[in-house]
Amino acid sequence: MTVVQVPPGWVPVAGLLLLGVATAAASLDGALAARSAGRTLGGGLLTPLAETARLLNQRRRATLAADTPLRRLGIAGLLTAALLMAAVIPFGRWTVADLAVGVVWFNAVDVLLWAAVWLAGWGPNSVHPLVGGYRFLAQALCYELPLMFALTAPAVAAGSLRLGDVVAAQQGLWFVVWMPVAFAVCCAAVLAFSVWGPFAAPLGSGSAGGVLAEAAGVDRWLVQAGRYALLTAGAAFTVTAFLGGGQGPLLPAWLWVLVKTAVLLAAFVVLRRRLPVVRPERLAVPAWLVVLPLTLLQLLVVSVVVVVRA
Amino acid sequence: MGVTARLAARRTAVLVTEVPGWAAVRCALEREVRARGWRPADSPADADVLAVCGRPGPRFAAAVGLAWAQLPGPRARVDVHEVATVAAALDGAAAELADAPAQRRDAQSRTGEPSTGVLATDPVEEPAPDDDRSAGQRDEEPPAFDDPGPPDDPDPGTDSDDTGSDDPDPDSDSDDMDMDMGGTDMPMPGGIPLAGAGDDDQLADPDALDLDVLHVPLGPVLPHWPAGLLLHTTLQGDLVVAARAEVLEPADGSAPPGSLHGTPAGRWDAVATLLALAGWADGATAAARLRDAAIEGGALPGDAERWAGRIRRSRLLRWSLRGLGPLPEGDALDRLGHWLAGTERPRSTTLDEVAELVTGLDLAAVRLVVASLDLDTADRTAVPAGAAP
Repeated sequence: MTVVQVPPGWVPVAGLLLLGVATAAASLDGALAARSAGRTLGGGLLTPLAETARLLNQRRRATLAADTPLRRLGIAGLLTAALLMAAVIPFGRWTVADLAVGVVWFNAVDVLLWAAVWLAGWGPNSVHPLVGGYRFLAQALCYELPLMFALTAPAVAAGSLRLGDVVAAQQGLWFVVWMPVAFAVCCAAVLAFSVWGPFAAPLGSGSAGGVLAEAAGVDRWLVQAGRYALLTAGAAFTVTAFLGGGQGPLLPAWLWVLVKTAVLLAAFVVLRRRLPVVRPERLAVPAWLVVLPLTLLQLLVVSVVVVVRA
Repeated sequence: MGVTARLAARRTAVLVTEVPGWAAVRCALEREVRARGWRPADSPADADVLAVCGRPGPRFAAAVGLAWAQLPGPRARVDVHEVATVAAALDGAAAELADAPAQRRDAQSRTGEPSTGVLATDPVEEPAPDDDRSAGQRDEEPPAFDDPGPPDDPDPGTDSDDTGSDDPDPDSDSDDMDMDMGGTDMPMPGGIPLAGAGDDDQLADPDALDLDVLHVPLGPVLPHWPAGLLLHTTLQGDLVVAARAEVLEPADGSAPPGSLHGTPAGRWDAVATLLALAGWADGATAAARLRDAAIEGGALPGDAERWAGRIRRSRLLRWSLRGLGPLPEGDALDRLGHWLAGTERPRSTTLDEVAELVTGLDLAAVRLVVASLDLDTADRTAVPAGAAP
């Protein structure tokens, strides 16, 4: 199965598709929240629309001596990064940008989030957002290296950094089967760079909303929508790199991508409500002493298998 | 009301503030917020409605006014003193939010530029109890400030029409970080001094980073925080290197309905607060529902047991709380276990002990430790106000 690059006219469609799936994830989260609060599941389904209506009707908040240009760069950075990530992910036979270095591109964009989240915290000139921004950096130090090595594993196995080749290499056997550690690390890192679930400390109630403590109106909308979009793009990438992408019987390839992404995304959303937040300062020791060595070991196993098979 | 306004009203965010002694009203309000599908807000910038449970004293009222000035708008403020009026008050807030012409007038009456606030440590002039708080006096009052961001407005009004300084058009906001004020060497962006090297409160830093010192008050308008507690902290980085606690009093002559402490409802309330700070959304909601069931008298024992077991078994939670806020009888995790089992013993924690426990911790850990102490700020014997120096 070859992947073709679609004409630029399709780019808005790809963006809308990403936002559409992200909205579905937000609806699921709203429905689960409604159930846990003892209301009907359906009542929460409109949550993303209601929240959008609320925030677009709300004034932005200005703070004293804010660093406005950097703040806006940071706030817009999350959604931008999600769209840039989605650009290289093959949707069945089609992709927006068939880069020869797709895996590296994804990784480079996720590093951009270091700046985006930190700037969103730095910009308002306020303690809680700034503390939240630094917490994100502390967290990023824990997930970034394991993620980089975890992404290396599928690239080594496929012998290519092109995501289309990574999908083609999973014909018959998904990478998740023989790279479970890399898959788990990738999932955790997606949660972490989306500031989600157990890795939501930079936005947590523990710091009065953290990076979001001074964000109102469209600023808050951009950050929240950006998080859902990042989670979606991250799930789609994980599906592509480890769960066979469009590989599957009967259904067309694009539908398989959609179904697998939806399932993984739903798992992420459910996980968020069930787990408490991990304090970033307690994360560094297990991340560097357990997860990173395990990831390297995984990479060694994959490399040996590739050499022996060749 | 248009479709968008109806949609927006479904997600109204409420910033809840409790005056010491009005815990029952706060619980009723939180319950009503949950039943409507609304949600609690994390900070003033996140809120549509500011709900004050109880009658705050002058300093507390000033802090509430400052928080009110930070609500971005459309905004509504409700003051609730009795459980029976909670639903009506929230109906009123919803109507106020939906009243577009009034909201527009409110927005236009707010000044453009955010202005500097005042220090929470400034001396207080207590007005007479019957003071009707004219506009001139309001400006004199030093509000304690919950949020360490640059305060917007030193004008803590009690009326929803005359306060506010949030900028409806942030483009006009000054972001000139190099603006020199008064010819001093220290740059004063927006007229506020930068965090600088402390005088006698700068601690020797083991990492030799020589971090700047910043004075940040925590509370009293802060969700998941003991009612009326004001913690003056000195920060280096995000570490609290010194702290002093005090309790802001309710208005003189008011008769608060009383505290929930020592009851099953009080225990589940403490659990809900701690879990909310620990970032466990479902656990916190479940604990709050059990609390409300206990207040009504119709507790579901099976459900309570199931949740107590789940909370006890959560490894991530144990990992987060273990070792925090050590007291002779145990740490935060032990105290959580006692609440779940109903075996906690009445303990009196002085404000000095609170300050001592949080010194040396980062801001998030401070929040967890304070929540784990389950301070009864309405109980003057357990938390003597005189403990603050």
